[in-house]
Amino acid sequence: MELVEARAGIGRSEEKMATFELYRRSTIGMCLTETLDEMVSNGTLSPELAIQVLVQFDKSMTEALESQVKSKVSIKGHLHTYRFCDNVWTFILQDAVFKNEEGQENVGRVKIVACDSKLLSQ
Amino acid sequence: MADRGLETSQPVDLSRHPSGIVPTLQNIVSTVNLDCKLDLKAIALQARNAEYNPKRFAAVIMRIREPKTTALIFASGKMVCTGAKSEAQSKLAARKYARIIQKLGFPAKFKDFKIQNIVGSCDVKFPIRLEGLALTHNAFSSYEPEIFPGLIYRMKQPKIVLLIFVSGKIVLTGAKVRDETYTAFENIYPVLTEYRRLL
Repeated sequence: MELVEARAGIGRSEEKMATFELYRRSTIGMCLTETLDEMVSNGTLSPELAIQVLVQFDKSMTEALESQVKSKVSIKGHLHTYRFCDNVWTFILQDAVFKNEEGQENVGRVKIVACDSKLLSQ
Repeated sequence: MADRGLETSQPVDLSRHPSGIVPTLQNIVSTVNLDCKLDLKAIALQARNAEYNPKRFAAVIMRIREPKTTALIFASGKMVCTGAKSEAQSKLAARKYARIIQKLGFPAKFKDFKIQNIVGSCDVKFPIRLEGLALTHNAFSSYEPEIFPGLIYRMKQPKIVLLIFVSGKIVLTGAKVRDETYTAFENIYPVLTEYRRLL
């Protein structure tokens, strides 16, 4: 199984509203970034506007996951490594089991990056 | 009677442990000076199994699995190692942490290693009348069951604190060498037999 890599950090937009940038490395975030890059390089979009779109994406992802996703997943596995630095938890699990309402899946190695959403409202 | 040690099947040396019971060491706390300034954030970012939250505590908390221990690593280069079950394991663990710090590029030394505390426990396997004990040994005892269910016995020689519970379970803490733990237990054992609760 591939190691899922993600980066997390708190960015600050011009309105001084903090956002997490960790969803930018998801499939949808990567696609958005690629498209914005393309639009900036062929001149249809200014770089400033592209950044603004990404910041909006960060906000919208956080909001959508909070308000529109009701399903819960439990992840259980052997904790190989953990880290807590800059308010970001990183866990590497081995032989993890992902469980939700529909069933379960075994994953050999998984990396979890987690931020405290309470930090955003501060 | 001979086999009162919890894990060992070897007979107890009765000349050293007349009670026939050998307290089991539960936790060793040691300190060492790595003798170099440390960049805690760099350590937390590079090392595995590390926590660093300077808002809450000014040290990196790091753990290793063998010997299963936790270290507190301070920017001054001072380190505290806790959780080991023997003096040798505590030293081995402290050396492993020092090695991790070295591998991250710091010129860590291993200065002034010292065992700071040894905690042991045992079970005399009979219930104890704590009220009676507290009355006759009032100079050493503090027994306030509404605050804490155990009797706190501050022995003067050796200088060891014992927590004595009704169940007969005993915790001994404050030792710098394990013999102080053993001596403290041998000192208290005859007193405990005297206050054995008869059912």
